[in-house]
Formats: sequence, C-alpha cells, structure tokens
Amino acid sequence: MITFRQSFRSTGYHWFHAILFPLLLLPALAGDTRDEEIRLLRQEVELLRERLDRLEQAEQGRGQQPPATGPQRPAENEPVPLDFPEPQQTLTAVAQTDSEPPIRIKGALRFNAYIRDFDRGGKNRKGDSGFELFRIGVEGQQDNILIAAEYRFYPYMDVLHHGWLGYQFSPDNQVMLGVSQVPFGLLPYAAHNYWFGVPYYLGLADNYAMGLQYLKSGGDWDVRLAFYKNPAIEDATNLNRYAFGVVRVGEQQNQQSNQLNARLARTWTSAKGHSHEFGISGQVGQLYNEITRRNGNHWAAAGHWNAHFNRWNAQLQLARYQFNPKNPSNASDQVVRLGALATHYDIAAKGTVAVANLAYTVPLTQSFIDQLIFYNNYSVLKKDNNAFRDSQINTLGAAIGVGPLFMYLDWIQAKNMPFFGDGSLADEGESSWKTRFNFNLGYYW
Amino acid sequence: MKKIKHTFPILLGLVFPLCILAETITVASWGGSYLRSQMLGFIRDFEEETGIRVEIADYAGGIDSVRSQVRSYNVRWDVVDFELFDAIRANDEGLLMPIAADDLLHGRDGSSPQEDFIEGGLLPFAVANIVFSTVLAYNESLLQQSPAELTDLFDLRRFPGERALRKTPVGNLEWALLADGVPPAEVYPLLESDAGVQRALRKLDEIKHLTRWWTEGEQPVAWLENGDVTIASLYHGRAFNANQRGVPLGIVWDRQITFLNVWSIPSNVRNPELARKFIRFATSTESIGKQARYIPYGPVRNSSLALVPSDVRPYLPASDGKLEKAFASDPAWWSGNLERIQAHFDRWLRIPTRVPSRLPR
Repeated sequence: MITFRQSFRSTGYHWFHAILFPLLLLPALAGDTRDEEIRLLRQEVELLRERLDRLEQAEQGRGQQPPATGPQRPAENEPVPLDFPEPQQTLTAVAQTDSEPPIRIKGALRFNAYIRDFDRGGKNRKGDSGFELFRIGVEGQQDNILIAAEYRFYPYMDVLHHGWLGYQFSPDNQVMLGVSQVPFGLLPYAAHNYWFGVPYYLGLADNYAMGLQYLKSGGDWDVRLAFYKNPAIEDATNLNRYAFGVVRVGEQQNQQSNQLNARLARTWTSAKGHSHEFGISGQVGQLYNEITRRNGNHWAAAGHWNAHFNRWNAQLQLARYQFNPKNPSNASDQVVRLGALATHYDIAAKGTVAVANLAYTVPLTQSFIDQLIFYNNYSVLKKDNNAFRDSQINTLGAAIGVGPLFMYLDWIQAKNMPFFGDGSLADEGESSWKTRFNFNLGYYW
Repeated sequence: MKKIKHTFPILLGLVFPLCILAETITVASWGGSYLRSQMLGFIRDFEEETGIRVEIADYAGGIDSVRSQVRSYNVRWDVVDFELFDAIRANDEGLLMPIAADDLLHGRDGSSPQEDFIEGGLLPFAVANIVFSTVLAYNESLLQQSPAELTDLFDLRRFPGERALRKTPVGNLEWALLADGVPPAEVYPLLESDAGVQRALRKLDEIKHLTRWWTEGEQPVAWLENGDVTIASLYHGRAFNANQRGVPLGIVWDRQITFLNVWSIPSNVRNPELARKFIRFATSTESIGKQARYIPYGPVRNSSLALVPSDVRPYLPASDGKLEKAFASDPAWWSGNLERIQAHFDRWLRIPTRVPSRLPR
C-alpha cells in the first residue's frame, strides 16, 4: 500500500510543476489579453477575405446559378422543409431560432360529423359522427440530410402516408428517396376542402409512390423530376393504402410500375405581390397484367394555373389521362380498377379532368379565429366512353383555424362519384346530384 | 495507477490559473457589430485594467429571462444592456437594483454625470449607454431609384420586392400610422385604443405577405446584402458597418425612430459592486467616445462627442439635421402598453393574408 507521504514523495516533481506551471502561465495570459484586439482585427480581415472570395466566385458564376448564400424563403409549394405549425402556417418567412430541434414530431387527431341525403338511416339519426384519423409523423433536417415520414391510423386501416429521406445539395436543390408525393398538377393539393376533388379519386392528386424525386425550386422556377418503381404499397392486392392507384382485384389484374414524372412550373409575381404560377406536368408508366403477363402502359398530362390576388386564390387545371391495359378477354379495357382507403372501384380508362377552385381568406384582426377561408372547389371528369356518364363534384365550404384546432365545414355535392350513392367514375352510375354535409375537426401539433 | 498520479498534478496546474482569474462578470448584450463596438470600445480595456473577465450572454430584448433569473435567485446576468422601455418594465416589476448617479465618473471636462449625460440618460435604476435609431435601408446596387421616405416602404409599385422588419410591434406600429397619415403627436394617443392598433396592423397588411421578420440585428443586413429583400428596417449602426465592409446600403433617415439603450443591474445579483464597477467604466467619457469609433451610435455624454472621429459623425442620428424628421420613441408609453399590444401583434402575425397553399390535412 502506498501512503500519502510516499505518494507525495513519488510525485513530488509533478506537484512542483503544479505550482510552477500557473506562475509561468500568468504572464502569457496577460499577454493574450493585450493581443486580443489584434487577434480580433485579424479575424475580421480573414472574414473580409472570405467574403471577397465569395463575391468573386459569384461574379464568375453570374447567370449560371442563383445566389446560394444567406437564409432562403421556402418555395410556396415546396414539400420540405415544413417550418411552420400547420394551422398557423403563413407565407411570411419567420426567422428561425436556435432552440428549434432539427427533427420535429408532428401529429393530428381528427373527428368527422356528417349527414348524407342518400343515406336514409343516417338522415333518421340526424347524421353520424366518429373518429376519423390519428396521425403521427416526423420531419426535419440535420446537416444536409432531410427526413419526413407520417403514419396514419384510420378506423378501417393504418398505413404509411409518406416517408422519405432526402439530401439537400443547396437551398434550392434536393433529392428524396422513399414514398413521396407524386409531382403532378396543382401542388400540394388540387383542392382547398377536406373531401378533395375528382383528381384525388383518379390517383392524379395527392398521390404517393415509392421512388426517387429531384426537386429544384429556387427563384421563380420549380422543377420536379421523379422515377417511381411502384406505388407506395408494392403489393397490388393490398387495398390498405392512402393514395388511389391501380389494384389487382377480381378479373382486373393490372398494376402500375416504373413510372416517370416531370413537372415544370414558373411563377410570375407582380410589384404588388400578386402571383401567377403556370405549370405543366406529365407522367408515363408501365401497366403490367398478372394474367397475360404483358405490359400495357398509362400516361397523364396536365396544365395548371395557380394565382394569388391579395386575399383571393384562383386555381385552374386541365388534365388528360389514359390507361392502356393488356387484359385477358374476360376483362374490360374500358375501365381500370383503383383501390385505396380499404376499398376499390373502377374508373374510365380514358378521360379528361378539369378543376376550377376559388378561395378567399377573410381579414380577421379582431376575432378569436386565426384563419377563416371560404372556398368553392369544382372538378369534373369527362369520360371518353360516351356510354359512361360524366362525374362531377362541387364543394362549397370554409376552413377555420383557432389555435391548434382546424375545422373544415363542407357542403359537398357530387354527381356520379364514388361514395355518393351508386356513383361511379366508370360507368353510367348516378344521374342525380347527391349531397353530403361534412364537418371535420382536428387538433394539430 | 502511476499515470493517474502523474496526470493529476498537471491537471491541477491547468486549473489553478483559472482559479486565480476567477473574478468574472456576465454582461447580456446584442451581438454582431454592436457587440464588437463594445468589445473594442471598452470591454477589453476593462478586462485589462481590472483583471475582471467579462463573459457575454446573447440577448435580444424582453424581460422574461431577467424576471426568471431574479425570481429564482439564480441571476446569471450581472449587467443587462436593455432597451429603455424594457428597463422601465423590469423596474416596475422590481427586477432591478438602484444605481446612484453619484457613483459614475465625472466627465473628462470635469462635469458631473448629472450635467454631462443627455436628458433622461440617468434614471434611478438605469444609465444610458447609446442613442440609436431604427431606420429603413436598401441595397443601392439593386434598386434603380432610391427610397427616400417612410411611405416608400409601403409602395410596392415603385419599390417591388420583399421587406424585412423587426419582429416586434415597437417601431413598426408607429411607422404604419405615420405612413397612414397620422401626425406624430397623435400616434401614441391613437395606439391607446384597440381601434388604433388595428388601423396600424391594417396598414402593415399591405406588405405583410412580402415581409420577413427578423429577430437579430445582423439578419436584415444579410438579407439586403444577398438581395433577398428590397427594403429593410435595421439599427442604423449596422448599415455603417456594412458600408465599411463595402456593402452599399443606403439609409432612409425620414422618420428614423430614436431609441435609448441603458445599463441595468438585475436584483439579487451575486456581486452588485462588480456590476457597478463595470457600468462606471463603460459609461466613462473615454469608453463612450471610443465605442463610437466602431459604431456610429450617439454618445450619451456631451464630453464624449469630441472623441467621435470625423468620418463617423455623418452617420450619427442627430447629425446634419437628421433629427428634424425623426420620430422619438416613447419608452415610458411602451413600458405600459407593450404587453397589451404584443398580444395583438403576435396574433396578427399568425393570421395569413393569403390563402395558404398547405392547409392541414
């Protein structure tokens, strides 16, 4: 055992240094203080030199690329980063604070109340209500790596809504790998209301698929290119999916694969801040038939206009689509079978879709309501097959935000639409307008 | 084991000098080129002369943090560089210690502090340190014509592009009413009522959809420099420093809003004498004059004016008749009304002026 005295002896040399070292250090520290101003000035010279280098590089590269320094405003339709809590989202850029975590957890709990004029039982009960959705998700960025994912629980299914990893090359350029929103037409949504419009039920809006997407959104241009191997759920017989896509059910045994998407949009902003976005989109992909083991194809193209005039928002979209399946003889080529939300229905294999939306946000400076947006969304499917009756849907409603609560109050009228009596996106279906009054209440965090 | 024995005394040797220099004071201040002017103006000199190390804590306004520190008796900030209206609010809540004017140094010309400081610069709980202005600024290289008046901030036709404003009602609401035609003398009486506040916010609505909100003084400078915004509000000294770096920022002096910053000592601070020592040094004629070499904020002592270099003087908010069209912020009024108006302002910020592209789904 080593006693304290022995220890002191054995380490006496070091104790000596323990006392000597600080004494030697003191003058050096005093000198440091004296030289601090020189050090600060040198740092400043160094910063100026770096700035000069950047300016010279920018001068050389002028006309080739947009400036990449400093904070950037997220493009209006850019899917990431979502910096604002959704109910309070504004177009005003708010400075970030250091205290914000790089990855945020987000979620929502929603309930529905509704009454339908084609549901006698529901009418007798004065409507129905219930749990609609619980969702939880993450999104954020660490260094240049991006992440966004959301899982949804419905009463009838649970499903990954989207989930991707991304890499941000610069504030304007990024790639996303995983299940991402398909870049087609009006983004992020082709409707203001809760129920959406015809494009969603055709798989041409708010659609998600598995693949690689490139996004460039700097300045006035927005360019999105994507390759999708298959829909978000690769098993084409599984109907538990969020986005409508071709499913294999019954005699219809087709499935989508290897889809290419391109979307180009340009925004013009007037001096007063009025903006007009014009865009074109296209998609093409394989349509594999499990029975014939042959590949058909499908394609769609769209042009859109999205304008903001002060408090008004106007949207127009015209889209054309075709499914060209290689069916066996017992399956009709005039329809394809789509599935999602744990159900399926047929749609016309060829058609033209039009969208016309108008919305107005009410100035609210003396109210407990944070957001009040009135809208009317109209969309129609003109089917190529003359034997099929066209499908239409019109929603007049309001979106109301109060703190973390957000509500949609929708008066939905539909003619020959799925979920409205015997309505169909494929054949003759319903000839009259059907009505659903829907109230959706959500708490978002 | 042997290694540990050898290492321990060496570590002790490293720690020992820190123990010798343990006398430290923490000053809460505003960062950027303003902090630089304080460091070079007097903080380094203070450290050298007294041997007291000055730690800087980042501060961006408000009294929440001071309130929390004082009430918990865990005061980490010995001295705070307040905007005057915040100091008044803090004092009203009993969060500040008294500071006797007689403790301060006489001016270099022998004048007493009471004679030497500008009017309103000495309060029982605060000592003035700078006079600064919030002004509109623009990047001269990016505009074909120069804005010259406050109303140009709202003129999106002649001066298209984004704006940047400080994320606070202070200053912005006054500007909105002035630009809406309200005479300066009627601005604060009008803001007493909610209707007056709404009128100001409605005026700001005209540019809200094109406005970025900043919280740190260097942000609007960077945005102007990068061409992200066309016109921005900023602390006028930041424009001077940007010009020195070669960034061509022009200043609109019309309706500049003048403010006073003050030194205060939070209550329950562990070593108030050390804090008073710092304030005494920082408010000397020489310290104030030397700081003005690095940022053109108005000296609060008459005796310091002679020390301001001639190339800095044109940037002082009071030079060349600039004060004629200035608007003097009323710190006493703001101290009593900020809480009420801040609630209006925060809510207004959340309300969209356009239909959001991404409603909750």
